[in-house]
Amino acid sequence: MVQRIAGMMASFSGVLMGNSTAPRHWPAWTIYLRTMGLFCLLWYAMSWLTPNKILLPSPLDVASALRDRIDDGELVANATVSLTRLLVSVSIASLIAIPLGLAMGTSRLLEDLLEWPVELLRPIAGIAWIPLALFMFGIGNGLPIFIMIYTAFFPLLLGTAAGVRNVDRRLISAARTMGIPKGTLMRHVIFPAALPSIMTSARLAVAASWTAVVAAELVGAPSGLGYAIEYYRSMLDTPSVMAFIIVIGTLGFLCDAALRSLSAALMPWANAEEKR
Amino acid sequence: MTQQPAPKITLAHVRKEFGGTPAAVVAVDSLSLDIQPGEFLAIVGPSGCGKTTVLNMLAGLEPVTSGTMTMDGKAISGPGAERGVMFQDYALFPWKTVVGNIGFGLDHGPAGHGLSRAEREARVTRAIDLVGLKGSETKYPHQLSGGMRQRVALARLVANEPKILLMDEPLAALDAQTRIILQDELLRIWGQDKPTSERRTVVYITHSIDEAIFLADRVVVLSSHPGRLKRIVDVDLARPRNDETRKSRSFAELSQTIWELIREEAYRATMR
Repeated sequence: MVQRIAGMMASFSGVLMGNSTAPRHWPAWTIYLRTMGLFCLLWYAMSWLTPNKILLPSPLDVASALRDRIDDGELVANATVSLTRLLVSVSIASLIAIPLGLAMGTSRLLEDLLEWPVELLRPIAGIAWIPLALFMFGIGNGLPIFIMIYTAFFPLLLGTAAGVRNVDRRLISAARTMGIPKGTLMRHVIFPAALPSIMTSARLAVAASWTAVVAAELVGAPSGLGYAIEYYRSMLDTPSVMAFIIVIGTLGFLCDAALRSLSAALMPWANAEEKR
Repeated sequence: MTQQPAPKITLAHVRKEFGGTPAAVVAVDSLSLDIQPGEFLAIVGPSGCGKTTVLNMLAGLEPVTSGTMTMDGKAISGPGAERGVMFQDYALFPWKTVVGNIGFGLDHGPAGHGLSRAEREARVTRAIDLVGLKGSETKYPHQLSGGMRQRVALARLVANEPKILLMDEPLAALDAQTRIILQDELLRIWGQDKPTSERRTVVYITHSIDEAIFLADRVVVLSSHPGRLKRIVDVDLARPRNDETRKSRSFAELSQTIWELIREEAYRATMR
């Protein structure tokens, strides 16, 4: 489903050409709507059966709460804060992890050197650092951004390094027989050949980082979507809590779709290669 | 008899092993060969005779295990732009269009040094015309058939204008008609209408005996496991060669001679 929607978006933007699925089928988004409708119906039935509306508010309550939060500006304000944090932390993580990954993929020595610290740090979830980060950064932007950089860093580093290591040797041979110098080889052969793998790891990094932002904001920030959930929970306003949860899911999905479109636009060749 | 010029490339007792010392596989053994400047040399042999290994060593991608390999008297120690390679599996850059692939060496390598942008573009255009890729300039390799990719690889080699062309089964994926047309084109690119001094040096690997005879001045026949020199067959067919050449009696005789040299091993290879 996710793939079909993203695929449609890509074909709308005219990046993909000439591979439409059978035209007589319903468009993918109508199937999506039907599934969602069914889900809402089930949800509605269950909330009707639940005596305490605070435990499970009905979809209608959530929808009206969602409208209220849009009207009073809470939603846009908190979403902007969280998305900005995501953008800042993934950018910083990319600036460190991608060059380091490129170096790691080409240098045996650096790989051996970094392997142990990376393998020791990687299994620790970003949110495990929250208590310590609270001491270090206090409440504010510092904590969620630190946690998110940490979370985005490892998929980017390892994905880039693996991408470089898996570059088709024949392409490097071909470039070398053309007398291509080392620096150019990195820029014009190794990097573009590893780019699909780097983009995939960027998608993983964004998804993980988005999960971490909510957790970090639940504890360590006076703003953002995670903070909003915690705030409305303390008010016992569960419809608003649900509304924010839906927003988090939707924004996460849209971020991934945007990255997919970006990949397709950057690498029309890779997209088709995958489909083979 | 005219004075023989110094050989362009010399192989002396070249041996190539793969793998560790105890379990080393000998791919090529005691291969000695002089390649003259401007010569079109074809290498044929059954599968497993180390043809591709020889080419990779000439390209500088594989070091020799023992023996020497020199070009203009200097040892070949690595790849260089003066030795262009066309790989069997094309090795096209998937992120580059046809134009980008053909112009790659000109844009990023020494082949394009001292050339203006317009000159580089003109060379790419000429190469595209030469191999018949007009209309596919903006396509990516994955949008092309095997035969078309092979043409791109050929055009990329030609556009770089290397002094020595090392080609590994460059026409293998083409249909029979296109193959014949490109054989003629190849001879033209090599310079069969020009005096020997203006010709490029070509080392051409093929599994097709007829192709080797049609193109080459000499055909090197290798035996397999390990690859050893079996015989060097002089192809004394007049140049320029054309369809008449293909039909001539001496062409057929040469073909028969070479086939007899490798027949036994070729049969054995199919049983493997």
